[in-house]
Amino acid sequence: MLHQRLQEWIHPQKQIQRRCICCILPPQMLDNLIQYGDEKNREWALTTLRISERFRGKRRAVGNVSFAISPGQKRRTIYDAKTSTSLPGVLVRGEGDPPSADQAVNEAYDGAGATYDLFRDVYERNSVDDRGLRLDATVHYGLRYENAFWDGNQMIYGDGDGQLFNRFTLAIDVIAHELAHGVNQHEADLDYQNEPGALNESFADVFGTLVKQRSLNQTVDQADWLIGVGILTSRVQGQALRSLKAPGTAYDDRILGKDPQPSHYANRYQGTSDDGGVHINSGIANHAFYLAAMAIGGYAWEKAGRIWYFALRDILRSKSTFQDAANATILIAEQLYGSHSDEQKAVRSAWQQVGVI
Amino acid sequence: MQVLFERSGGFAGIPLTLTIDFANLSPDEATQLNRLIEQADFFNLPATTPSAAKPDRFQYRVTIEGGDRPHTVSVGETAAPDTLKPLLNWLVESARKQK
Ligand SMILES: [Zn+2]
Repeated sequence: MLHQRLQEWIHPQKQIQRRCICCILPPQMLDNLIQYGDEKNREWALTTLRISERFRGKRRAVGNVSFAISPGQKRRTIYDAKTSTSLPGVLVRGEGDPPSADQAVNEAYDGAGATYDLFRDVYERNSVDDRGLRLDATVHYGLRYENAFWDGNQMIYGDGDGQLFNRFTLAIDVIAHELAHGVNQHEADLDYQNEPGALNESFADVFGTLVKQRSLNQTVDQADWLIGVGILTSRVQGQALRSLKAPGTAYDDRILGKDPQPSHYANRYQGTSDDGGVHINSGIANHAFYLAAMAIGGYAWEKAGRIWYFALRDILRSKSTFQDAANATILIAEQLYGSHSDEQKAVRSAWQQVGVI
Repeated sequence: MQVLFERSGGFAGIPLTLTIDFANLSPDEATQLNRLIEQADFFNLPATTPSAAKPDRFQYRVTIEGGDRPHTVSVGETAAPDTLKPLLNWLVESARKQK
């Protein structure tokens, strides 16, 4: 039987685990839960232990349970679908292999590496699932397929139609965006529709641009804050697919139309296309991140990115709204940098400026 | 008879749309399109197919009107039945040519 006090710790399970960044629970309490708790308690205790072990930077075993965390190593594998839609395709480049003659293969390989590095070096995350997941990617998926996606297990890139869209590996932020969908899946697991979906999209763009900015060693003032530069062909009037700095201005083309992204909550799309406007309303949260990062200054991945990452990892859940994201990032900014710190003020002001709070 | 087609979503989030009036098609094209609509058993497909939306996948909406009865099918890329895919591919290619 579990001690009464232990039960109190367990009941608001997610609250405890998600509210505080650095939960300090007596280790014996967790050990007891793992050994004697029911399935749910046990899983929660293991998760909590994994998080706290990570903070202490060591691994250990409890009872007869050991953690199957793979060593923190990049393991990238790139496949070629040769314009078919069967996955994963033919293996063309493994970790440590020399570059391929095929640029798409190298772009997928390097982009996955830069994304892995940001999450490991800056946020101490062990790959997409924080347990060393292999990074698999397939290039040349489908015929003239003008898209890239994360299918729950791997990245997939199309070549574009060649008329309006180039290959999707061309932009490093597209690659990081797809991997960030994987990170979300293992953390907040935001639903992919309506507001949670727009948040999901926004986090993907945010980490997308952070990987790009870090790979170019750019400060917030030097960065272009664009997503997907190079994806649109020279026939298109447009510089990119989205802009965090000025949502709604990335392209304005005779054939493709105009970038539909709003930057203010009052102008949000409320229709059903695009899973409830996930690629449209992401502009609102994207712009909030941009405003916060600009106000904080320096390298965006260091402070603003860390605040957003912790919110995604520790607080947000599948049904979270923009309002929840605002509250979460303001709370994390306080926990990391102090109440009424410049960082917290920057985050609050950013969400106010886009009309969410 | 008219076919209204929209593909939304995808990484770019840029919709691809097309309106086809059978009256403007060549006899060959009309035959081809009719065959694809039949092959999909379009008028008996459910209006929506519940499926969890997946990151950056396309979403399709096809409406056929002006015939015996109008019908609209909305379906995600991962949930589209195999019998419908040739019609969707044909519509995507036609929409591209129109550009
Ligand atoms: Zn996405």
